[in-house]
Amino acid sequence: MSVGRDNRIIAFCCEKSAYLAADRAGRMRLCYPDNVRIIRVPCAGRVGTLHILRAFEEGAAGVLVMGCQEGACQHLTGNLRARDRVRYAAALLREVGMDGERVKMVNLAPDTAEKFVRAVKDMAEEIKER
Amino acid sequence: MGIFLCDCGGSLKNIDFSKISGDLEKLEGVAFVDVSHSLCLEEGERTISSRILSEDIDRLVIAACSPELHERKFVTLVEKLGLNPNLLSWANIREQCSWSLEDDVTEKAKELIRMAIGKARLLRPVERRGVPVSRQVLIVGGGFSGMKLAIELSKLGLGTTIVERESILGGKLNEAEGFYGLEIGPRRMLSLMMTAIEEDKNVEVLTSAEVRGVRGEVGGFEVTMKRAGEEHSRGFGAIVFATGYRTEISPQNSEIRPGVNVISHLDLVEMLRAPERLERRPSIIGFILDVCDENSRLPTISALNNALAVRDKLGSEVYVFCRNLKVDSEGVEELYGEARERGVVFVKFDEAPQMHCDDGQVVIEARDVLLGEEVVLRCDFLVADERALPSEGTKALGSMLNVGSDSQGFYQDGNVHLYPVASARKGVFFVGGCRGNMDLARASNDIASAVMSIYALLGPGETVIEVEKVKVDRDKCRACLTCIRACPHGAIQLLRLSADKEAAQISDLACDGCGICAAVCPAKAISFEGYSDEQMLAELETIGK
Repeated sequence: MSVGRDNRIIAFCCEKSAYLAADRAGRMRLCYPDNVRIIRVPCAGRVGTLHILRAFEEGAAGVLVMGCQEGACQHLTGNLRARDRVRYAAALLREVGMDGERVKMVNLAPDTAEKFVRAVKDMAEEIKER
Repeated sequence: MGIFLCDCGGSLKNIDFSKISGDLEKLEGVAFVDVSHSLCLEEGERTISSRILSEDIDRLVIAACSPELHERKFVTLVEKLGLNPNLLSWANIREQCSWSLEDDVTEKAKELIRMAIGKARLLRPVERRGVPVSRQVLIVGGGFSGMKLAIELSKLGLGTTIVERESILGGKLNEAEGFYGLEIGPRRMLSLMMTAIEEDKNVEVLTSAEVRGVRGEVGGFEVTMKRAGEEHSRGFGAIVFATGYRTEISPQNSEIRPGVNVISHLDLVEMLRAPERLERRPSIIGFILDVCDENSRLPTISALNNALAVRDKLGSEVYVFCRNLKVDSEGVEELYGEARERGVVFVKFDEAPQMHCDDGQVVIEARDVLLGEEVVLRCDFLVADERALPSEGTKALGSMLNVGSDSQGFYQDGNVHLYPVASARKGVFFVGGCRGNMDLARASNDIASAVMSIYALLGPGETVIEVEKVKVDRDKCRACLTCIRACPHGAIQLLRLSADKEAAQISDLACDGCGICAAVCPAKAISFEGYSDEQMLAELETIGK
């Protein structure tokens, strides 16, 4: 499997935090790499290992799962479950000889547009280096 | 399907709309692509209405600003036009595309719209229906919070039933002697509230009663109560815990134990109520605070109130030993000032004082951090350090409803700032002392907040549900209980289908739509319409192609 053949970063964004942070980044005209594709989810806990792995299978170069700050999830444990799944997916990637750093969990608040942009830029750098 | 593009009044200059609409029209299943300047204005609504009504489309894609801004508006519009709102898919080409880059983003915008089209193809309608909810509210606990809540809800026309474990209402109001700093004393406050409740037809009071079991969900909880040895069940739309707190004498780091001369605040209050029963008037009374628990908001308020009451009723000298006096509640700073003015002496210590009994008196030795000297006090009574703990039965009641608690055992689910009085279970609320160290002003805030939430939920008498938006495929379900354990809202139950078959059942009323169950189900038996695996993967598959 050729990793990252189309250089895209898939960001699964919780509609209560990360999706709003991304909107805010746009409103503030903070430019970020154009290879990010945002998939809106009701809670980071909706994202399963399946979705993360399929993103790579479809050619993504990096995957971000973005949810609320720990302790601030409306669904109590959604972001914690997402964090565990990201770890699990990273372990699976390493097992098949891929780079586990290509999938990351990010916790942010809806008003932290800068954090969203930084996370996306960091991932873009991460991909470039490899 | 129909596609509506909006160029936001021509301001999205880095997107070539004519190129996009030309390319999209060629896609399979696309009936038309409409480019508008302002979908969110009346003109845009007219465009959508006329095209939906005139052309034969069964679903639509809107590519415009963030759905956070106008999604609700279009959902209402589409529903009015007779199309199921779940058949609307959205592409955010303003905030997350045009505005996030200065260069030409036509290709990115097209890809975002194609992702939305990919998802739209797989969307299925979800029926919306109003279901009746009970307008009767169960309040567990008849202390200040429970009584006040009942009175406030009654003003809005909601019926309440107060279930109180004790034989009388009032809770901790019965144990207080003075509310200095407030215009009204505890006994007067209690009698006013009792009169209001007695005269109120909407409020029913069951004393010496307990909650034994709860079934069902918001709008129709079925609660089993036990009263006078008999159990009976009733239906309620919502449940509020106002179970309060209890106080306990903290374990003290000294050789003395509570007894004749070391007393609790309650003992002191009893003494103040009947001073004639004392053999002789105590000349010195000491209070001690903060020995082992720094979180002493309530004990501090009781100590200040009771110190003032002692000055009023007994005239004894009063000394308060404390670490840092907590004056973080409304009016407590004034209370502290008043106590000092009226001759109450405060001794601040850093290290816990040594205490022992000597000749019928209690001797306290402490190092005053302000004087820098040892202070030795011989007092007739020492009012011991107390701490606030959850009432007995808090845990049992919590587990009955499957709601969480904090590290000290007080009720708290989730984010204390966003949802202070709501539990993770829809229709279950907490107010007042059962949520932690809470003074009357804070409890009143809780009550106001709960009243609004409950009225929004039950006021109209019905609530709109999305029928089977999240659904279990009973053939695939292996009844492994994974989803039931994972659901943060207690919305899933096991249903017996036949003698040898069980399956999970999701309540549309209690579901909050997070999709955690769909992600954890090992059998992939749970589908979440709008965010199903197929629909999310359809978005993924379009990316980069």
